[in-house]
This record gives sequence, C-alpha cells and structure tokens, in this order.
Amino acid sequence: MTGGLLFALAGVVLFALGVAGVVLIDNLLRRILAFNLMGSGAFLVLVGLAQRDGVPDPVPQAMVLTGIVVAVAATALALALARKLHALTGRLELPEDADD
Amino acid sequence: MMFAFDLLLALALLLSGLRTLTTPRLDRGIVLFIAFGLLLALAWARLSGPDIGLAEAAIGAGLAGALLLDAYGVLQRSKDLHSKGVAFKRLIVIALGTAFTIVLSEALLDPLPAAIDLRVPVAAHLEESGVSHPVTAVLLNYRGYDTLLEIAVLLLALLAILAVVGETRIASPSRAHPVLQALARLATPSIIVMAVYLLWAGAFRPGGAFQAAALLAAAAVLLHLVGLLPGWSTPRLRLRLGLVAGFAVFLTVAAALLRQGALLKYPPEAAGGLILLIESALTLSLALILAGLFLILSRDEDAS
Amino acid sequence: MIDPLVWLILLPLCWATLAFVLGPGRGAWTAIGGLAAQLWLAFVLADRVGAGGKALHAVGGWGAPLGIDLAADGLSTAMLLLTQCVALPLAIYARSYFKADDPAGTWFWPLTGLLIAGLNALFVSADLFNIYVTLELAGLAAVALVAAGGGAHQVAAALRYLFATLVGSGAYLLGVALIYGAYGTVSIATLLPLVTTDAPRLVWIAGILMVAGLMLKTALFPFHFWLPPAHGGAPAPVSALLSALVVKASFYLILRLWLGPLQALLPVFAWGMALLGAAAIFWGSWRAIRAVKLKRLVAYSTVAQLGYLFLIFPLLTCPGALQAGVMQAFAHGLAKAGMFAAAGVLIKATGQDSVAGLAGAVERLPVTLLAFGLSGVTLMGLPPSSGFLAKWQIIEAALAQGYWIIAVVALAGGLLAAVYLFRVLRQAFLLAPTPQPAAVVPRALEWGAFALAAASVLLGLRGVELMRLVGVT
Repeated sequence: MTGGLLFALAGVVLFALGVAGVVLIDNLLRRILAFNLMGSGAFLVLVGLAQRDGVPDPVPQAMVLTGIVVAVAATALALALARKLHALTGRLELPEDADD
Repeated sequence: MMFAFDLLLALALLLSGLRTLTTPRLDRGIVLFIAFGLLLALAWARLSGPDIGLAEAAIGAGLAGALLLDAYGVLQRSKDLHSKGVAFKRLIVIALGTAFTIVLSEALLDPLPAAIDLRVPVAAHLEESGVSHPVTAVLLNYRGYDTLLEIAVLLLALLAILAVVGETRIASPSRAHPVLQALARLATPSIIVMAVYLLWAGAFRPGGAFQAAALLAAAAVLLHLVGLLPGWSTPRLRLRLGLVAGFAVFLTVAAALLRQGALLKYPPEAAGGLILLIESALTLSLALILAGLFLILSRDEDAS
Repeated sequence: MIDPLVWLILLPLCWATLAFVLGPGRGAWTAIGGLAAQLWLAFVLADRVGAGGKALHAVGGWGAPLGIDLAADGLSTAMLLLTQCVALPLAIYARSYFKADDPAGTWFWPLTGLLIAGLNALFVSADLFNIYVTLELAGLAAVALVAAGGGAHQVAAALRYLFATLVGSGAYLLGVALIYGAYGTVSIATLLPLVTTDAPRLVWIAGILMVAGLMLKTALFPFHFWLPPAHGGAPAPVSALLSALVVKASFYLILRLWLGPLQALLPVFAWGMALLGAAAIFWGSWRAIRAVKLKRLVAYSTVAQLGYLFLIFPLLTCPGALQAGVMQAFAHGLAKAGMFAAAGVLIKATGQDSVAGLAGAVERLPVTLLAFGLSGVTLMGLPPSSGFLAKWQIIEAALAQGYWIIAVVALAGGLLAAVYLFRVLRQAFLLAPTPQPAAVVPRALEWGAFALAAASVLLGLRGVELMRLVGVT
C-alpha cells in the first residue's frame, strides 16, 4: 500500500466522521469543527488517490489549495452566524424549528 | 520505514480528529483541532504537497484556529443544553457512516483503471506558463479561472460577515502586557519580509499569494490581539478599495486577455510578469480579507 | 465580437464589486443596469446556440483536460435565460422593497451580484471541480442573503441552510475526488467516453455521493428540512431568488451528470428519484395546506413543486421529458418569484405574516392578489400557463412509455396545489372584521410581482421556442 492510498483511506474515515458530527452534534462550534474535518477528509482523498508511483500531481494540489480557502471562508461565515445567534438567544445550538 | 511513519501519522490524524469532536471540554476540542491541522500539514508534506502544507498550517490551522478560539472566548458563557439526541437517530447515522466507510475503503483498494495523466501536459507547457513551479502554474494559469472564482468566494465571505454582524460599536482593544506588545512589534517586520519572500518564491518553489497573504493576515491578527490594532467597523472607502483591489486586478487582466482569444489567455512572453502582478495585488487584498474575517468578527465583543 | 458566455460571468462579478465599493445600502442601479445587460446577453447567446449549436469557450486557451472549459448547450442556455429573466424584475422589486435603513438591504446588492455570478458560472461550467467552486459561491451567497439583518429565527434558518449546503457540497467534492482518482480528469467532455457500465465500484460510489449531495442542496424529500425555514423566513426578494433559482441550480447539475458523464450509471436510480419526487409533492402540499404563515406556505409549495422535476427521470429516454423538466423549472421559477413577491407586498401591507391576516386584502391590493392568483394558475397547471405546458408534457411522456402512475401523481399534485392556493385566495376575499388602515406599498412592488406572475402564464403561449432551444445539444 502506498502512502497516498493510506492517507486517502484516512481521508474517508475523516469524511464520515465529519458528516456524522455535523448531523449528530448539537453544539454549533463543534459542528463547525466537524465540517472542517469533513473537508480535510475529502482533500486527503483527492491528493492521496492522485499520487501515482509516488510522483505528485500538481492539479489536485491546486484544487485542494482552492478548497482550503473556500473552507475557511465557510468557517468564518458559520462562526459569524453562530455568534449572532448566541448574541440573540444566549444559546449555542439551533433551536427546534417551530413550524408556524 | 517511511511507511511506518505514514501509518503513525494517519492514525494520529484520525485520533485527534475523533477527540476534537468527542472531548467534553470545547476549548480542548479547538486546540485539538489546531493540532489536527498541524498534523495534516505534515501529511501534506509526506504527500509531496508543500504548497498545501504551507496553506494548511497558515490558513487551515492558523487562521481558522484563531477564529475558533476567538469565538470560544466570547461564547463560553453560553448555556449549553445537554445533547438531546434521539438515540435511534444516533444509531442509524453511526451505522450508515460505518457502512459507508467500509464500502468506500474496500472500493479504494481495487486496482484503478488506466487514467489520464495530467502531469504530462502540465510539464510540457510549463515554459509558456510564465512560472516554473507546477502548482503555481496550475493555480494561476491552467486553472486560473478556479482561482478567480475562489477569490470571489473569499470576498463573499467578508461581505456575508458584514451583512450578518451589522452595525455594532467597536470594542476598544484590550491592551496586553507590554512584553507581548514588544514581541508582536518585533515579529511583525519579520513576518512581512517572509510574506514578500513567499510571494516572490511562489513562481519557482512552493509558496505564492495565498501563503503570503495568510502570513500578513496573521501579523495583523497578532497586532490586534495585543491591542495595537483596533477591530474593524464597516469598512470605509479606502479599505473597501483595498479589499477588492486584488480581485479587480485579476478580473481586469482576465477580461483584457479576452483580446488574445480566450479568457485568461496569457501571451507566453508576458505571462510571468502578468502573473506576478496579479499575485502581488492578490496578496495585498487577500491579506486584508483574511485579516478582515477575524477583525470584523472580533469587534462585537462586549467589553463587559 | 462580444462573447456572451464569458461576459455573463464577468459582468455580475464586476457590478457586484462596484456595488461593494459604493458602500452600504448602495448599488441598486448598478445592479439593475448590469442585469439588464445580462438579460440582453442571454438572449444573444440563445440566438447563437439556437442557430449554431453548442457554444464553447476554453478558458486560458488550454482546453480540457488541462484547462477549464465553458460550454453552453440548449439546457445551459435555457437556465441562463431563466436566471436573468427572474433576477432583473426581482432587482427592481428589491430596490423598492428595502427601506433606506433596513439592515437586510445594506449589502443586498453585492451579495446578489455574487450569487448571480455564481449561478451563471455554474450553468456553463464543463469542469466538475469548477462546478464545486461555483456551488460554494452561490450557496454561501444564498446563506448570507437569508441571514442578513435578521433576528434569531432568520439566523437559525440560515445556519441550518449553511450546514445542509456544506454537507451537500462536501459529498459532491468527495465524489469529484474519487472520479479524479479513477480517471485523472474532472473535465465533463473528457469523462464522457471513459465512464462505462463496468466502471469500478469507486465511480459508482462517486456518482451516488454527488447526486446525494446535490439532492440535499435541491431540498428533495427527505432532505428538504432546511428549506421551509430558510425560504419562509428570509425577506421576500431573497426568498424569491432562492426558490426560483438557487434550488434549480443543483437540480440542473443532477441533470447534467445524468445526461453527461454518468449516463451509464445513474439511470439505475431513476425510479428511486421519481419516488422521492412523488413523496415531495404529497408531503410538501400537505404541509402547505396546513401552514399558518403565508411565506411558510409558499416555501412548502416550493418543496412540492420541486418534486415534479424529479418525476421526469424515468422518462428521460423520451426527448420530450427533458423539455418538460426545463419548462417546469421555468414555470416554477417565474411563478414562485411572482408569488413570493406578492407575498412580500401582502406582508408589508398587513404588517404580519399569517394567512388569516389576509382578510380584506382584495380591496386594498387588487393587483397583488391578481399576481398571486396568476402565479397560482401556473403552479396548479391550468392552461394556457407554462405550468400547464410542463405538466402536459410530463403526462404525455409518461403515457407514451406506459408509466401512467407518473401521470396520476402529476395530476394529483395539481389538485393539491389548488387546495392550498385557494385557501389563500379565499381568505383574501373575505371581508375584514374591522377595516384595517392600509400601509402604503410602493407601486413598483405590486407591479413587479404582477410582471413575474404574468410572465409565467404568458410563457405558455411561447413555450415551443423554449423547448426547441432545450433540444440543442
């Protein structure tokens, strides 16, 4: 097993972990952490799988660079929303969606 | 031998990732996340992706970690309700997640079919691309359109934060211990020099606009944390111009090159210069944007 | 020689930047001017594509798989037309909607510009990873628009939407990663001949991940939980943009994958999609019938109407089905935008967001009620509206292949829509218990809503041209 494949497998686990975290956890900050794990997992798969014979492939590397920046943008937005919600309600979780 | 190292690293990644989500104390979770980010940077280095490693350490672990810690500082006074997760839902999700992981891992172990190898055309056209580092060539030339849109995403995030936070009064920065301030003052010029080096070096070795901008933003955050730089309120015209300058330059160059026949089609003799121009403008604007992500959010801390 | 394909992306990026530089609360006229130019560009593109076939642009001059390609066939061009046709009237509407000091309107214009840029870029991208970036651009812009200037409910709805959209694009990204690992390229055109029915398991999983992520972003049942609070709680012009355009973008992507690189794999799931679509129609209509708040009702109607889009998947072997799907997207886009616009006027005038509070509205706001009614005509599928055309085509395609159950579901959906829509209209025609002082509502708002609703009905008369455009590959 090559190093690339090993990290790709780790990426799969991280991805699943991240999604489970976003879905199951209530605390908003932790959900944001979880979504970051999910993204990192996907990036590891992208670069790990593309590494053939140990020689790096620059295209997925550039893609992951783009992805990291997008992820931090989303994290900042999520944090802004979480802080606003906390300022308005004092809680750090999504309230139950009271329909009507 | 190195495989054993890789294995340990992968396991450490998984463990720190898991503990981030499950450790009872949230502040520990955030610190574990930063540690995870640094381990991930190591993993990128092992995968021969030093550019990504730099970006992950500076942006993924550094800036994101700073944002999270800052948020935690404000939010720790929240009344945290005990998780009311339905046990059944929990079970289903975990079962599905485990099944998915197993199925996908198995599929990954199958031999992969003969693929298209993009390394060949990347190397073949590298000379006309204007830079000699393949990742920079992909980022700013072959797939520069992705980068253009990505800058738009960053700008969008800043706008979004402005829209969400609205008008609040600027908290006066808490002044830190004079030694810390002195340290920050000493560190800042070195950081700036390093950033300029990274920007210039990106043409022929790992580095580039994003990494340089992340360093500059880190300097700004550092100065803010010790009380030497106030938080931002709604940006004034000069700041707005600075924030969009990089994107505007990129957009203008891209559109101007339409006369060459296609969007972002660099003429080979001017490619290097144009890319440097774009990267320089981007470094400035991205630094402002990344710093802004932190400085705008941190302004609404109640002084009480 | 202006290349409309490229300028449809560059122009909104330009005016969004300009709007931001102009400052908080400014940028309305920049936006309206830009959108008008974009509408013209969209028609120019439609002309070209209709006459000369697919339009292509290789960004950077490299060409796929090294570079990123932009491609506009009939389907993409139609979606571009829909986007500009809905965005321009909504921009004019929004200009009058947001009062000067409304925090929701402070950064509306640059945010909307970036949203439209993201959507336009998405519809013409022929590169799977580039699509991911455009998805994030549009998605984050939408979240920001929902949250802007809002209270606890709006922010919570925006957060819920954010998490859903991030998990959706995360799944999509993992799928792209797997495909790149398997084939070494993310270019749609290059992948087309490579993906066959005996593709490795990896690619099957990738396909499922991508479609699942996109379904989550389209709010297809059972992934619809985030839509009603987000679309129901946002300001009216934002709800209109989201319901009419943003959810269609991820649906378009599912179609693109279905007809494109994954055409050897995905049709296996056609009946599963149709089943979920049917469930969406019934569940969404049921919740709309029982909704207390007006905008919530309209949002549930979106959930239901999106179900129609997924009914076409088992029918895609017949060429009319694709055109039916696009017609339905158009019909719903125009009608729902008009309906949300009308709802916005009603809420501004009556000061509250409940169906019960609409009593007496017909006297004070006849134009708005007419707009609501016309939108309803399209959503119910009554002739001569475009909604009727869309449903007619779906039923025709279904019966042609012997799948009468789909025809039955389509008809039932129309009946259910009638139930919840008449609920609103009946309430509005009731006499108010006490004469309410009418809040003055700018004319532009009422007529903006009317224009959109009327367009959705009138489109039915010119539908043939649209369908011919969609047929171009």
